[in-house]
Amino acid sequence: MENNNKKSSAFYSYRLNPQTKFDTQEDGEKVYLLLRSHPFTQIGWILTSIVFIILLFILNFIPQNIFNIGQIFLINLFFVIFILSYIWFHILNWYFNVGIITNKRVIDIDFYAVLYKEITNAQLGRIEDSTVKSGGYIESLFDYGSIFIQTAGTEANVEFIGVPHPSDAVQIINKLMSKKHGP
Amino acid sequence: MDLKDIAFKVIVFLFAIFYYLYTLVVSKQVKIMDKTLQDEHNGLIRFVTSLQVTFSLIILIIVLLSIFII
Repeated sequence: MENNNKKSSAFYSYRLNPQTKFDTQEDGEKVYLLLRSHPFTQIGWILTSIVFIILLFILNFIPQNIFNIGQIFLINLFFVIFILSYIWFHILNWYFNVGIITNKRVIDIDFYAVLYKEITNAQLGRIEDSTVKSGGYIESLFDYGSIFIQTAGTEANVEFIGVPHPSDAVQIINKLMSKKHGP
Repeated sequence: MDLKDIAFKVIVFLFAIFYYLYTLVVSKQVKIMDKTLQDEHNGLIRFVTSLQVTFSLIILIIVLLSIFII
């Protein structure tokens, strides 16, 4: 794993040998790779936040005599609170939705809208196939895409959507699998 | 005080209450997420979340003061 050409990059969305721990970690289980969505996939809410900020400025320049100064201050305060909460909510969503590759298994930790938790994992020995899907100008330019890991039997499949350097991540999974099974 | 001012104060009060409850829920969820995944910046995440709860409480107190005292 040490010879992998990609080091930690893209704002902590691709981290090799991180000091990360998770609650279902077993004894002797070592985390090799931590994956988060590529920062470019977050562009939607970042642009929306910028639009909200611009809207706030525009609203303040429109002359109106419905509210007094104190009320205008409170409206502005709540608008700012709303924008900051919106940004923070999406940062939390991005930070805690991760894919983890260890020497024993592949784990997908998802928190939907911060409130719902879903953890899917696949033992390396049970993985049958791993597929990388990356296409389009943006994904090629920023080198990100999705990884689909198929498992044998009734075990759930694992998906990492919009992660950086997907081919390198799959290479790591394949190396770990061959270590586990032998060449 | 006219009807418009009363309506405004009620709306602001409801916003402050909902915001406070929202920050409490987020803070509880952050605790769960922090327990699930311990990474490099979890300390900062916890700090900002507790700051958000404190801030929402201050807002609620200010709104209550503006309604009942000022």
